[in-house]
Amino acid sequence: MHYPWWYVPHLTSPMLIAAIAVVHVLVSHYAVGGGLFLAVETTYAYKTGDRKYLDYLRRHAKFFVLLTVAFGAITGVGIWWTIGLASPLATQVLINTFLFGWAMEWVFFVVEICSAFIFFYYWGRLPEKTHMAIGWIYGIAAWISLVLITGITAFMLQPGSWIEDRNFWSGLLNPQFLPQTVARTGGALLLTSLYVYFHAAIVLSDEKLRARISRRSLRPAGLGAVLVLVGVFWFLYELPASALLAIPSAATLNIFVALLAGMTLVILIALYVGPYRNPQWLSPGFAGMLLVVGFATVGISEFVREAIRKPFIIYNVVLGNQILTDEVPAVQAAGYLESGIWTKAWMERKYPQVFVEDRIDARRLLQLTPSSRIEVGQTLFQYHCNDCHAIEVGYSPAGPLLGEGTVEEFRHLVLNLHESRFFMPPFCGTIEEAHVLAEYLMTIAQPTPEGMYFGGRQNGESVR
Amino acid sequence: MDPQSLITGPTGPLPAPYWFIQLFKTVGFWMHMIPMNLWFAGILIAMMGRTFGCPFARHFSHRLMSQMPILVALGINFGIVPLLFLQVGYFSFFYAATILTAWFWLSIVAILIPAYYGVYFYAFFRGGSEQGGVLRILVGWSVAGLFLLLGLLFANGLSLMVHVDAWGPIWEKTAVAGATLGLGSNLADANLYERWGIMFGLGTLTTAAWIVLDTAWFLRDVDSEWLAAYHGWTRRAAGILTVSGAILFVTAGSFYVFKTWSSELFEYMFTGIRLPLTVLTAVSPGLVFVACLRLGKKPRVDTSAALGMVLAQLTVLGLNAVSRQVVQNFQVGAYLDIGSLPTQVQWSPLISFLVLLLLGLAVIGWMVAQVIRTVRAEGKPSISR
Repeated sequence: MHYPWWYVPHLTSPMLIAAIAVVHVLVSHYAVGGGLFLAVETTYAYKTGDRKYLDYLRRHAKFFVLLTVAFGAITGVGIWWTIGLASPLATQVLINTFLFGWAMEWVFFVVEICSAFIFFYYWGRLPEKTHMAIGWIYGIAAWISLVLITGITAFMLQPGSWIEDRNFWSGLLNPQFLPQTVARTGGALLLTSLYVYFHAAIVLSDEKLRARISRRSLRPAGLGAVLVLVGVFWFLYELPASALLAIPSAATLNIFVALLAGMTLVILIALYVGPYRNPQWLSPGFAGMLLVVGFATVGISEFVREAIRKPFIIYNVVLGNQILTDEVPAVQAAGYLESGIWTKAWMERKYPQVFVEDRIDARRLLQLTPSSRIEVGQTLFQYHCNDCHAIEVGYSPAGPLLGEGTVEEFRHLVLNLHESRFFMPPFCGTIEEAHVLAEYLMTIAQPTPEGMYFGGRQNGESVR
Repeated sequence: MDPQSLITGPTGPLPAPYWFIQLFKTVGFWMHMIPMNLWFAGILIAMMGRTFGCPFARHFSHRLMSQMPILVALGINFGIVPLLFLQVGYFSFFYAATILTAWFWLSIVAILIPAYYGVYFYAFFRGGSEQGGVLRILVGWSVAGLFLLLGLLFANGLSLMVHVDAWGPIWEKTAVAGATLGLGSNLADANLYERWGIMFGLGTLTTAAWIVLDTAWFLRDVDSEWLAAYHGWTRRAAGILTVSGAILFVTAGSFYVFKTWSSELFEYMFTGIRLPLTVLTAVSPGLVFVACLRLGKKPRVDTSAALGMVLAQLTVLGLNAVSRQVVQNFQVGAYLDIGSLPTQVQWSPLISFLVLLLLGLAVIGWMVAQVIRTVRAEGKPSISR
């Protein structure tokens, strides 16, 4: 509406954010937990004079820098790239609200980059105390980055009193801030242990050292598990009612939440029977399996966290379809096509006949030819619906979801979107716009499959 | 289609004063340009040296490419600052232009990943030989090409940002019912190639300054005869690159100013207080040339002469960053007066940021000091031949 809508057939452009974000969090959590791990373990190894362990830590630091400084940093920028493309209005609100939050996070990012390189490149050259100190500088800077970013992402789920006072600190220290910080810190520590297991299993042939690493890495894993459990329950407790209800309302989320609980349990059991009871089990296969389950757990938890915000991108501030909630009444009164900068420009170019004194007269939409009405309906679909729904095939496609219906039925559905489904946004247009959208929906709606038996008559014989 | 009708307004008051946004956007871009220049033009120069150059050129190539992982990381990191402040003030232009060219814009991220890992591969992988094998050289050339391409893709998006009258035609060409497929490009805009050429000229100049800096400040070698010869090569290489960079800059810059600027922009930049800025920006590579001459014919490139060359190039980059900002403000100002947008300064976050910035710089300063102390204490070659 405020910006051109980026149409990505089948996938929908916001799913690109999800794809990049999930890959990024797998590395960014390790960037935090791994930094703390290296700081703690390097300090331990120096203090105990354990040269073998130090040699391993050096190899791990190389792997860590190669993965986090390059891939982690670029995918982090990648998320920023994609949110600007697929969700520009929400990005604009976030940047306007948290300009100095991002700026502060950047300061810690610079410190991270410098300390990571010095820690790695000058390993064995810096005095031990200085080397340890630089490891701790990295670990602390990385964790503060996590804290700041979590404040901003948690704001999207629950802005709290920011809605009333529009104060930076109210927004950053929102009700979800602490629970998510605790959960993410725990996730970072737990995931890091899984990375360490995998890396050690691949590069180390010394079984004794592997077993020692296996045992030592249980500490962050255990602490991480406790923090994750506390954080997740706290997170659920603080969720807005709509987000909490979204979980049982969507079958996918139901399954995902059950999967999350199950996979977390699998990881904890595997850590107990593996590294704790049988540290010699640390084979590439076992460690790889643990890491894959860890990845799946983190990836799914991010998906759930994003999905339960519906119908908002920023809870109560920006709707999923790039409209500010404060704008809704005015847009409904004036019409979506008229209110949208790019929709109005498109209509002006394609259908100047619907304009009266430089404004779209919604009644004239119904005077267009049937094919033109369908085209206008498609424009409304692109801008109003395509954020969450592919057309006929792809991510949550509207066609199969709609099923059979008449124009009247679809118009009724459109006009009462949020009343019948709380996770849908309200329709932000006029009755006439709802009508042309319904006419377009008729062209993509897929008939109820034939051959279904409902007691006495088969489907295809007008069940409705 | 009236381009003005495609400009959107703010969602709320700006959180920082206009001057603050301008300052950090410009300074951030200046900081970004330094390492970015070294990967944009420097990698190509290093690969030319590696493939066609003398042993000294190969040595420099090896040194620069070994430093490149850090330079790329710093370049990406410093690029965040101007992009952040760009999105605060210039949201209307930035989002629309990048969405219309979405796939090209997003491909920057996709290309940067292999380019960056290519740099790491080149820096760390020798394949058992002193200089590495054919694969390493192929990777090096590919990386050079990828970074040149990245520059073009950046220029594609950001030149469209200020080319508002091109939005409508690009949008219509790639629209599906009013939504864009994100396949638009601004490659037909001559402005883009000139900007790209100017940056390549600046990159060549920055590489010249880096050669001198690296030799005078970072290079240590026990073989004094070899070292003296390398210093001689440094002067020659810096001279050649300075002249080449200046010619590229002036040629591309002349086309940019005289062929692509509108008469209004031309008049604006050549009147009032902008006139000295424009002229100084145009002739600034001369500063680097003069500084290069100061290197003289002494047996060693001394540190003060090297510092002079570095400061001269930093001035060139600074003048370019300021001039670009003034031009950009004029171009977008025709559609939206960013300076008059409502502002409600977030004072306590702003001060917190500045305090943290100072603390962060102090911490970085301390870490760098530890490195310098360690290297001095070792007193041995920093990178072996």
